[in-house]
Amino acid sequence: MDIERDQRRFKQIVRGRIRDNLRKYITHGEMIGRKGRDLVSIPVPQLDVPRFKFGKNGSGGVGQGDGEVGDALGKPGQGPDGAGGAGSDPGGGHYLEVEVSLDELAQMLGDELELPRIKPKGAASIEAEKTKYNSIRQTGPESLRHLRRTYLRALKRQISTGSYEIEDPRVIPVRPDKQYRSWNDVPQPQVNAAVIYMMDVSGSMTDEQKEIVRTEAFWIDAWLGKQYKGVEKRYIIHDAVAKEVDEQTFYHTRESGGTRISSAYKTAAEIIDASFPVADWNIYCFQFSDGDNWGDDNRKAFELLGEKLIPASNLFCYGQVESPYGSGDFIDALEKHFGENEKLVLSEIADKDAIYESIRKFLGKGK
Amino acid sequence: MSLSSQLLAELLHAAGQGPQSFALSAGVRTIHCRALQCDPLAATIDELTLETAELASASVVQLQTASQALAQRVNYLLEPIAPIETDSQGCSVQMRSNPPQRDDNASRYYELLLRRGGSIALCRFEKQPGQPRLRVPAALTHEVIGRLIDDFAATVDGI
Repeated sequence: MDIERDQRRFKQIVRGRIRDNLRKYITHGEMIGRKGRDLVSIPVPQLDVPRFKFGKNGSGGVGQGDGEVGDALGKPGQGPDGAGGAGSDPGGGHYLEVEVSLDELAQMLGDELELPRIKPKGAASIEAEKTKYNSIRQTGPESLRHLRRTYLRALKRQISTGSYEIEDPRVIPVRPDKQYRSWNDVPQPQVNAAVIYMMDVSGSMTDEQKEIVRTEAFWIDAWLGKQYKGVEKRYIIHDAVAKEVDEQTFYHTRESGGTRISSAYKTAAEIIDASFPVADWNIYCFQFSDGDNWGDDNRKAFELLGEKLIPASNLFCYGQVESPYGSGDFIDALEKHFGENEKLVLSEIADKDAIYESIRKFLGKGK
Repeated sequence: MSLSSQLLAELLHAAGQGPQSFALSAGVRTIHCRALQCDPLAATIDELTLETAELASASVVQLQTASQALAQRVNYLLEPIAPIETDSQGCSVQMRSNPPQRDDNASRYYELLLRRGGSIALCRFEKQPGQPRLRVPAALTHEVIGRLIDDFAATVDGI
């Protein structure tokens, strides 16, 4: 069908536009506020339909009107009232909202950043119940009625009782003929992942820095969600004290306390101990801070990181968002203490434009 | 003679000489000042600290209140000062220029630390893109230095 071909072509063009502008979308978080359950609504510049354009008046051709042979012609656009002015309505392009699934976006991100597919560790030892409509019952809601089976049963009954007439082949199901679809819960092995996000919300973290964290976390979420069927997310905020919070609180809290990163590590270790047995779960930790850790807290933080969090995690990613004060040196301390640890990924995020490279650094290991 | 008067007299005396460190006391309060350069009207100060045992038993809440009061008093520096973080375990309040001064090459800001124990200390930092922050001298007129010491003292009085 032509219309289907046109629709496919349209989708290809839209995806091409999104791909072209993906870096802009990633760094400026335009689509985060537009996230639905599974779809993201994205504004793409209007797709132009080819059309005729008028040329400039008076640039050629034959005209008619008042005047004598030899009269000078005015320039195009200059009428008796002088040059035309700008319109009063706002200009700018028209935008078309298109919906793209999160899975597709994640795939585009993966292609764009050349991210390797993640290799889950261990066997798929966690069983999730999945509902499958794989049986038939005599009773059930009408919405689940199996039309073909009901028809066949009625046909068999009518033939066996001699009520079926070839000349008048009407099949009328009665109550005992009706067949309904039914379901069973089927255990399905699943490789699961747990993602623990930690964010410094101390007084030195500004709203701009938190916006960077929010944008980066959105894309990390999209990618991990594509790689694993079930992703459990946990959120921890901390200043001098850490607490587990929901997603909304995670992104919109500001405290004024000092920064003690070890408090977040302690809470993360407790969550892992309580909820995510290391043998069964692929655990990812993403921590964001301006790195302005107080006093002698580094020693305690390194202890928790080295003994509990890094051994338990597939990846431990630390993103240091640059503060206006530039006083964060936690990333340097981490690098000095842990050196080249393959599970530890460090990234400095100077501004929104650095989000792109930071995501590549975090997820580019394929772990 | 107040601490501010003592220090200003010392700074005037040290005009034209090289880097100098001063430690001047009045009762339980001591002023520590490291001046890298002194002129008759101004000095470049690396650190200015008021130490006093009067803050030995100050609570975090008292320090927070004191930091608010200090932020309101000290409104004559290059940038306004505001409390940024409170460390309840270490019992200290960190104040900084808010917002810091920014130009094309760097951002600069004052940092004031109120500690239980205790002390009030002022220093200045500079942060260039891609570089760790550096402590830099603060150029202050004698009048401003005197006012700062008086305001530090008034803050301790208020706790």
